[in-house]
Amino acid sequence: MAKMHSHRLRYEKSGLAVYISHLDTMACFQRAFLRAGLEIWQTEGFNRHAYVSIALPLPVGFSSGCEVMEFDLQTELPLDEVPARLNAVLPEGIRVEACYPARDPFGLLRLLDWEIRLEYDNGVPDGVEAAFSGLLGRDSLVVQKKSKKARRGYTEVDLIPLVRSWSLTREGGEVLRLDCRLAAQNPGLNPQLLLEAFAAHAPALAPDFVRCRRVEAWREDGERFR
Amino acid sequence: MLLRVQKPARYVGGEYRSVMKDRAKVDLRFAFCFPDTYEIGMSNLGMRILYGVMNEMEGVWCERCFAPWGDMEEEMRRAGLPLYALESGDPIRDFDFVGFSLGYEMAYTNVLNMLDLAGIPLHTWERGDGDPIVIAGGTCAYHCEPLADFIDLFSLGEGEDVTREMLELYRRGKREGWTRREYLRRAAQMPGLYVPSLYDVRYREDGTIASITPRDGAPAVVTKRIVQDLDRSYYPVQTIVPSTEIVHDRVMLEVFRGCIRGCRFCQAGFCYRPVRPKSPQKLIEQGIAACRDSGYQEMTLSSLSTSDYRGLEELCDGLLDYCESRNINLSVPSLRADNFSTALQQRLQKARKSSFTFAPEAGTQRLRDAINKNVTEEDLLRSCRTLFEGGGNAVKLYFMLGLPTETDEDVLGIADLAQKVYLTWKQYASNRARGVRITVSTSFFVPKPFTPFQWEGQISMEEYRRRVNLLRSSIRNKAIIYNWHDPDTSYVEAVLARGDRRMGRAIEEVWRRGGRLDAWSEYFQFDRWMEGFRAAGLDPDFYALRERRREEILPWSMVSVGVRPEYLWREREQAYRAAITPDCRHRCMGCGADRLLCSGKCDAVLPPSAEKED
Repeated sequence: MAKMHSHRLRYEKSGLAVYISHLDTMACFQRAFLRAGLEIWQTEGFNRHAYVSIALPLPVGFSSGCEVMEFDLQTELPLDEVPARLNAVLPEGIRVEACYPARDPFGLLRLLDWEIRLEYDNGVPDGVEAAFSGLLGRDSLVVQKKSKKARRGYTEVDLIPLVRSWSLTREGGEVLRLDCRLAAQNPGLNPQLLLEAFAAHAPALAPDFVRCRRVEAWREDGERFR
Repeated sequence: MLLRVQKPARYVGGEYRSVMKDRAKVDLRFAFCFPDTYEIGMSNLGMRILYGVMNEMEGVWCERCFAPWGDMEEEMRRAGLPLYALESGDPIRDFDFVGFSLGYEMAYTNVLNMLDLAGIPLHTWERGDGDPIVIAGGTCAYHCEPLADFIDLFSLGEGEDVTREMLELYRRGKREGWTRREYLRRAAQMPGLYVPSLYDVRYREDGTIASITPRDGAPAVVTKRIVQDLDRSYYPVQTIVPSTEIVHDRVMLEVFRGCIRGCRFCQAGFCYRPVRPKSPQKLIEQGIAACRDSGYQEMTLSSLSTSDYRGLEELCDGLLDYCESRNINLSVPSLRADNFSTALQQRLQKARKSSFTFAPEAGTQRLRDAINKNVTEEDLLRSCRTLFEGGGNAVKLYFMLGLPTETDEDVLGIADLAQKVYLTWKQYASNRARGVRITVSTSFFVPKPFTPFQWEGQISMEEYRRRVNLLRSSIRNKAIIYNWHDPDTSYVEAVLARGDRRMGRAIEEVWRRGGRLDAWSEYFQFDRWMEGFRAAGLDPDFYALRERRREEILPWSMVSVGVRPEYLWREREQAYRAAITPDCRHRCMGCGADRLLCSGKCDAVLPPSAEKED
């Protein structure tokens, strides 16, 4: 198991920052710590650099209000001062909400709550709710998932056990909100895959645009992941 | 849209230290356009300097704009989204100024494409009072005639001072209600600004230029501008830290401008004269502050020949004191084989270095003397020996083929030199079991304006290929790897570099046929360029291959970089005698660039005792 590091950040990544990739996000934080004058542990070896690690990579284009990153703070200071110092030097769209001592190993992060906005240019069509029920009410829903490792270029996943709960709410005439709790890792479910399955199931009801946002991270036992 | 394109982070802005201003409190908006991708443009120190200079001005908002990659351009055109500035997202066609930084000829088609994407009329004569003033600067602005149809105003030389003056003049024009024409007429009076539309060019029947005549009081010769005192000039200590990886993702510290060497093929070496250093103290202070402000863990010293910097030891000591304890990596490129100190190398390189890169440029001493690249075989082999004794096992050697006076003997000399490096390895390698890798690369020489070789013809592509094959067949050692550049791009570059303003038509034809991002091999198409030249009624060989006579009026003769043409001609004659010219420290050869300095004395000629003390 990977070494546990002592401190965590919970941060928001939204707006312009949704276009910053996982690796670039780490680089942004490494530099932001140095800019903020917060010394953090650096890796050993030839190319020494400030160490940060993100619990779960966030795909480009998705926003999140519950990102978790860990590191070892070497500067002595009250942890509640860390968010303000970092926020002063982070790029637009990344905002640290809290800094706290690490508790749960990353592996314990099992579930993610998602807020997915399905946007329809010509209004939410009738029958979308029924179509979702029809799809997610099945006993099993096996889809192909692209995979670089698999010899065939894809693997097969059953989505049903990975969708723990879901609900739909209309937000005005053109937006349908899908709130769902999905498996986070090993295996996790990218909401994009779920939406692709929906588009295949009911092509006429596929939305014109989709916005995905992570809202909360959970352990298997229902405790918030910290 | 952004989710469908590669690397969307380069199209959104929002980076740390990007400058946001209140539109209501701004009276002058400037779009700084770099005619290549974000990753390339953001690596340009000049852009960062001028961005800072302009944004320090009250009421001026300078924003950035880069060439979109093909996928993004397609999306923008489909959606009807005009080219916008990264900071505000506002269309740049509504700005007061649209400025391009021209670093290389192959970016010219991007300039046209960006103007078109912005919805700005392509030609200067189509623009009216509501359109932005389109300006350009950078290295290619010195020989800017191929873009004369598209650019209203060229800024020659270093832009720190003239940019401010030019913007103030624009404000005055706004207050006094000048027309666009009137502004350009007055700008042309300002030293360092060249307005091509105020010059009439006439041609002879043989295609050469008969006369260049200024109108409306424009000066016959426009001399480039320089910064007098680099210690007092603006340096972007606080600068944008991109949120996505760029090419030079580090603190860049410019130690001096100009070069003492005078390599005869090198345009930068003549155009950036006179030599002006920054003091080590200032550099240490700025370097440390820039690391603090950016959070970068990498810093590089930049200049044309860093090892010629007098205060190098002091500077490195000062920076390393700060960097070492913080794991900041300091790199010093552009070290020369002839004065490369082992002690310094060791201080810079904590871990053992396994490879070196050298650019002897030519294979024989005779040709190296002809081009004034004063590196000897002995220097090179000595450096290689040090490398091999220390356990290194890779050497990269860069050469040019097609240099003036080059013979087959010189070409074969490249293979000989590589073989001698191999033998040096055999004799001195501390660990021969690891093997050695010697990489020889050749590029195709492009004669450039403002160099002693500006009158030369480029050799033909067939001849270049013949010399490549000659060299290839003479390298038999498996430890020596030979790479050569394709001549296509270098030929087009040679045509554009010495083109006159008729070349604008060809660039436009190429762009209309889909030409853009031509510095990228996945976009460059040689045939498209040939079609463009044909459609414009131009013979590319006339520009690339023809040797010019001394009396010929060259297309860039209304521009002065400070170095006198007579000096360049004398250097050319020296080249044909394979006679070297000592570097500027050894003896001042009177190139003329020192007259650009108010003090009249350039750093190169100051004796060591007179070095700046403060």
